[in-house]
Amino acid sequence: MHAHDHDHPPELNRRDFLRLAGASVALAGLDGCSRMPAEHILPYVDSRPELTPGIGSYYATAMSVDGYATGLIVESHEGRPTKIEGNPAHPASLGAAGPIELASVLQLYDPDRGKSARVGSEQVQWERVAANLAPAALRSRVGGRGSGLHLLIEPTSSLLDEELLASVLTAHPDARIYMYSPMLGDGATDAAVQQYDIANADVIVAIDSDFLSTAPFHLRYARQFADNRRLARPTDAMNRLYVVESTFSSTGSAADHRFAVRPREVTTVLRWLLTSVINGDAKTEAPAWIAAIARDLRAHQGRSLVIVGDAQPASIRALGDAINDAIGASGKTTWYTTSPLVGHHVPVHKLADLVGAMDAREVDTLIVIGGNPSYATPRALGFSSLMRAVPNSGYLGLYENETARDARWFVPMSHYLERWGDARAYDGTVSIVQPLVNPLYRSIAPPELYATLAGTSNGGARSYDLLRASWTRRTSGDAETAWSDALQRGVTADAPMSRVAAPTTFPSDTNPFEGTAFEVIYLADPKIHDGSFANNGWLQELPAPLTQLTWGNAGLISPATAHRLNVSDGDIIKLSSGQRALELPALVVPGHADDTVSVHFGYGRTGSESAARDVGADAYALWPAVGARSEAITVTRTGAAQALALAQTQSTGAGRDPVHRATLDAYRASPSSVGQRSGRVLSLYPEAKPPDSNTALQWAMTIDLTTCIGCGACVVGCQSENNIPVIGASEVRNGRSMQWMHVERYFADNGADAAMQPMLCQHCENAPCEYVCPVGATVHSSDGLNEMVYNRCVGTRFCSNNCPYKVRHFNWFDYNKHLSETELMVKNPNVTVRERGVMEKCTFCVQRIREAEIAAGRDGRAPRGTDVQTACQQACPTNAIVFGSLTEPSSEMMRRRNQPRSFAALAELGTEPRVRYLARIRNANPEIHDSR
Amino acid sequence: MTTVPLRRARGDNPVPTAFPAPPDASVLRFDGSDRALTDQLLAPLRGTGVVWWVLFAVSAAGTAVFAFSCWWTVAKGIGAWGNNIPVAWAFAITNFVWWIGIGHAGTFISAFLLLLNQHWRASINRVAEAMTIFALMNAGLFPILHLGRPWFFYWLIPYPATMGVWPNFKSALPWDIAAVTTYLTVSLLFWYAGLVPDLATARDWLDSRLARRIYGIFALGWRGTSTAWRQHRVAMVLLAALATPLVVSVHSVVSLDFAIAQLPGWHSTIFPPYFVVGAIYSGFAMVLLLILPLRHAYRLEQVITERHLDAMAKLTLTMALMLTYAYVVESFVAWYTHDIPERFTYLFERPFGTYAVLFWIMITCNVVVPQVFWWKRNRTSVGVLLAASGAILVGMWLERFIIIVTSLHRDFLPASWHIYRPTWVDFGLLFGSVGFFGFLFLLFVRFVPFIAISEVKRLRHDLGENGGREIGLPHA
Amino acid sequence: MPALFPRWSNTVARGSLLAIVVIVCGVILGLMLWVRTSYATGQHASIAQPVPFDHRIHAHALQIDCRYCHATVEQTASAGVPPTAACVGCHNSVWLQSAPFAPVRASLSSLRPIAWQRVNALPDFVFFDHSIHVAKGVGCETCHGRVDRMARVEQAAPLSMGWCLSCHRNPTPNLRPRSEIVAMGWDAAHTSPADDSARIRLQHEYGVRSLTSCTTCHR
Repeated sequence: MHAHDHDHPPELNRRDFLRLAGASVALAGLDGCSRMPAEHILPYVDSRPELTPGIGSYYATAMSVDGYATGLIVESHEGRPTKIEGNPAHPASLGAAGPIELASVLQLYDPDRGKSARVGSEQVQWERVAANLAPAALRSRVGGRGSGLHLLIEPTSSLLDEELLASVLTAHPDARIYMYSPMLGDGATDAAVQQYDIANADVIVAIDSDFLSTAPFHLRYARQFADNRRLARPTDAMNRLYVVESTFSSTGSAADHRFAVRPREVTTVLRWLLTSVINGDAKTEAPAWIAAIARDLRAHQGRSLVIVGDAQPASIRALGDAINDAIGASGKTTWYTTSPLVGHHVPVHKLADLVGAMDAREVDTLIVIGGNPSYATPRALGFSSLMRAVPNSGYLGLYENETARDARWFVPMSHYLERWGDARAYDGTVSIVQPLVNPLYRSIAPPELYATLAGTSNGGARSYDLLRASWTRRTSGDAETAWSDALQRGVTADAPMSRVAAPTTFPSDTNPFEGTAFEVIYLADPKIHDGSFANNGWLQELPAPLTQLTWGNAGLISPATAHRLNVSDGDIIKLSSGQRALELPALVVPGHADDTVSVHFGYGRTGSESAARDVGADAYALWPAVGARSEAITVTRTGAAQALALAQTQSTGAGRDPVHRATLDAYRASPSSVGQRSGRVLSLYPEAKPPDSNTALQWAMTIDLTTCIGCGACVVGCQSENNIPVIGASEVRNGRSMQWMHVERYFADNGADAAMQPMLCQHCENAPCEYVCPVGATVHSSDGLNEMVYNRCVGTRFCSNNCPYKVRHFNWFDYNKHLSETELMVKNPNVTVRERGVMEKCTFCVQRIREAEIAAGRDGRAPRGTDVQTACQQACPTNAIVFGSLTEPSSEMMRRRNQPRSFAALAELGTEPRVRYLARIRNANPEIHDSR
Repeated sequence: MTTVPLRRARGDNPVPTAFPAPPDASVLRFDGSDRALTDQLLAPLRGTGVVWWVLFAVSAAGTAVFAFSCWWTVAKGIGAWGNNIPVAWAFAITNFVWWIGIGHAGTFISAFLLLLNQHWRASINRVAEAMTIFALMNAGLFPILHLGRPWFFYWLIPYPATMGVWPNFKSALPWDIAAVTTYLTVSLLFWYAGLVPDLATARDWLDSRLARRIYGIFALGWRGTSTAWRQHRVAMVLLAALATPLVVSVHSVVSLDFAIAQLPGWHSTIFPPYFVVGAIYSGFAMVLLLILPLRHAYRLEQVITERHLDAMAKLTLTMALMLTYAYVVESFVAWYTHDIPERFTYLFERPFGTYAVLFWIMITCNVVVPQVFWWKRNRTSVGVLLAASGAILVGMWLERFIIIVTSLHRDFLPASWHIYRPTWVDFGLLFGSVGFFGFLFLLFVRFVPFIAISEVKRLRHDLGENGGREIGLPHA
Repeated sequence: MPALFPRWSNTVARGSLLAIVVIVCGVILGLMLWVRTSYATGQHASIAQPVPFDHRIHAHALQIDCRYCHATVEQTASAGVPPTAACVGCHNSVWLQSAPFAPVRASLSSLRPIAWQRVNALPDFVFFDHSIHVAKGVGCETCHGRVDRMARVEQAAPLSMGWCLSCHRNPTPNLRPRSEIVAMGWDAAHTSPADDSARIRLQHEYGVRSLTSCTTCHR
């Protein structure tokens, strides 16, 4: 009975792994069929107050993406981090976390990570490498002033890094430092960055900007955006968002008006908008909708905002600045600050300069720290071959990836959960990065490499000591207290970056590539970003917002374009421009700009990362140049086809409209018409009496579809909390997705709008699944949960057939069978790991509920609904999900539930779900009728 | 038991007096001695021809495929099938319902018709009963194989467990198990009880001492005393009375596996009668498919007469009409409810949706084809009967597939819709089970008197007493 | 011709008919009885430990409070098995150098834990929490028996789901004042009707409910 499949965990965590073995060992023990296998108890040799077996501990740290930090709180069990959560005290998180942050804990345990240093193909100790990097040793190669030494670093905002890089330059004055990431492009070295205050913007125009789900600081923006559209009462004020974009983004789905335009039209739109804003209602050739937006912007002088995506060239973003000046936004809802990234005390250069130097054979020693330039650069640059030509090249990275393959020597880099450091948020707030575990492999952190290069260490320096030293240097007053305080709060007292004037760039007046048939637009992937997270199963299997695509990328096109090209989902199309070409499957997305193909970066990896290898197509192969957002392209149909791993195969509601939608005006006009259409359905059985405060807590959830932006954070948060397995592309194609939370997406028939509906077990009071289960493996608890008892389930799957929401998932195979020892470590010890052949589904995080009850019981008090947060609720950037008890009328959950726009999914079936949705209200501008 | 007294001619057991109702001469046109009849009916026990061996080899291969597919499923998990969410049930349950349905004809013919004094059943009931048992053996396998954790199947049976919990009696599945096992037990008893006298006949008729011993053991010492015959008769009637309600109850319970769900396409009050009719329908088709070759191979035209074929065809036509009625009512009710999902499933998805082709094949096989039986020529033409019953069996399998899969793959929330595609294991199990069925049936034909000799003889004597005049049922 | 069967075969025939019935029923009944035996449940099995720790001496003779070693029983799910340091706390002066203490010394020097044998093992899908049971007035003795009389600790209860449920369905008879949580033999000494009413009072005082929802233990 497969009892031994995962019964051999590492000794140290034995007691937790017994729980892992859960379902399967269980089989042997069930109903006393056979005796329990002999087990050992391994106590600690020495008692550790901070390490009580069975109690999770929480530490504050921070994770950086493209150098911008997000403050996190990490849950740890017996010394192994298992769950990431947002840090409420951190400005970039406000308690929320995005898919990438949430999934980063899985990356820590990734068995494909680089495990030891090597020179050539010979495995060596880091100290061996360090010996050759000492200034003395190095000068013999790179010259007395180090002119041959070149460092390519991934963007970092670490003050420690900046200090140490400065000291490297003291040792090698002529050495050069370059900073590059594909998504920041040359922006990485910009002196100033643009900040936004969404909280005080009543009217927002986002132009080619996915500021709610992929831009830096997006978690904060999303929270601020949602807070201004909660609509506790129909009469409440609500902000308004216009989105102008080519690719349907999460931000686009949150928009009140969305306009799909071709990339090259962005400039035109901006210029029209600028003229309309300046000339007021004076006659302009601008279309009506732009004029209307302009009026709306001017009507909210100082409380409106135009956001132009970072990916747009400076000359075009300057148009946005001009508009913001005209509507009084500059200085109020948007301003510039100095960049939080390094480069203020050390000169950092652009990638182009490095390529030039390599071309000119000026580079003797190239050390790449983080990033993956051999992969994540325009293939046309030929970085890979140039790097191979460098006499002495080294790479410090997480994986033996494409870059490692081009480097003479490789040193594994510590994951951020394994190392000490510091980092700035987008606004400059400083956080301490503290490790949760010692490095799993023989890895080092960048500061240790820098110290070695600077000669202040012979490779032995630990980043903790370096950090403490730097901390004491820069902290005035009691460094110790400040330190412990910083560790506890996760943020330091350091002031954010100071405001500076907007960079002076002349607005673009040119219209790129006129009159081309097709354009391609290059985008950061909402899940795996630039490819750095491509080996993360949780992210690969997360259905992409709107497309619902998992395990790969596709050429996104509009229905009209699909018709014109005569292709449908999965047909391989070929994008080509000159020598560059890319073949990938097409995917039709309603609401996409016509004659435009969207391609996401990060796929088609060829490194040693087994999960990422050969998944999707490599957009960098087609990318013309660093910073290019779009270009003219020829698109041809190859005739080949490939099945896409789509988590949802229907695009619209098929006339059933599962999501209630209305405009704000309609809602205000008649609130009752928006919410529940039928009241409690008549039943032959006596009415269950509504729960009151005397009964046990009655758990329930309310989800606001007005503020849900479909980012998928809830899905990953749930996957992490509940030990949900990764099943791979083919199983997703077979329709066997295991995620308990699925953000379902319904396009309006004209594609103008897309509604998101997070679908999880609805915990019906009259649950259809319960009465059909022959063994009572799914039953109702006294506190209103629809319980799923894995160890009782025999797997008839009748429950799933009878579940109208299809939120039950079946273990078709033993999906945990082939997990590596390290991958087992990420499992939550408080949740059973499900065995082959049993059903599973959302439990409302019952393990958290029961633990809260037990804690309350120990303190001799009654548990409160507010004691428990579900994983999805915790992750949600927009607070769209609230959880609580029906017995507490004053709770936020109940206040939302009692709104007139609340409704139950498929209410007509009389299942009486405990999950209620709030109708999707859009603050439409009455002057605009043609959302495109 | 001691020796068999020599004064009685071998294989010539005394026969008790007839039923009250006089039979119809057209059901038996055998003109030879009882001895000759015995010889002909027992002939296969002495060995069979090359055709049997060929068929046996084929069915044995099928059985091997079946065994392998089962092993594969249990070893790898249900994931080896094409099932998914939403389509959590598919081939296996289709096969289960199909086989159970086929089983029904046996009991219907032997028990139901026995109580109704339909004499013509005498010459085909043994085959029908055997078919029932083999079909049930197949059917019983699928629900267990279909479990995610088959090794815990016994949790569906109510017994005092140390866990202190019981099965959920609200669910149809525990009742399913009860129904099927009861049905199997009763059918087995009924079949065997009827078989005993013929086994005795075989015992006395065969030459090889070993063979006689073996048959002797299974004959349970039957000596054919008049007392024995009287008690045997009583026992048979009692068992028949026991079995008859099962004809109705078992498939009604099976239909509840679907009807208690709220799924559009399942949630329907017409299911129990609809399923029972469908079951008997497919059962008759299978009986025809089995007896016609036998009749030809063993020259049984005088025992299985055109009268039988005619009667069977008429019953088949009747069932077809009742089934058609059910189809119409289902769709009408769906339209009448104004319920969007209901209308979608019945009025769009089935006739025009993903699996529309299968739907129209089903309609052709189950509704159109049997209409040929309005003409007597077709009712008695072996070719037509074979073709029609083959079509009906296919149609009935498709009917269950469509009920299950089309309802599931597009139910309430469009976001959860997903197509279903079977894998080789699914087909392995379907065709394998057919092979297994054939395997068992061929063995039965070879080693067991597949025509109820004693009953046929009894019938003969009744006819004799009636001077062979044709009375009773009006001749069609 | 000779008889096909000897006379005794009649008896055999009748016998075998009976035998079939008996065997079928017997096997089923047998299995159902077997799973209730202590062999199947592992009850009272004597399990050797790396160190011959005798609870009679520590819990009875020396009257050491259970919580001295099982320190986390009031705070966490697991009662806690003492770290080697805890043993040495007392034993560095006595016995430490003796032969039976070899594993302890080894553990101290190598900093590797002593591998105790688990006595009360629950299936891994069962989430049992000591702290809440103690907080609600269920004594150690109630489940673990008279540990103070065990040379080698043995599993006192069947630990079957039915056994858990019997108390979860009606907890009252197993309650005792929190002050008596670690007391041994307390139940035997308190069986009078008066004590029953006292237990009912405790039930209200401690807010003890009958928890039979599956997720109480299975998550």
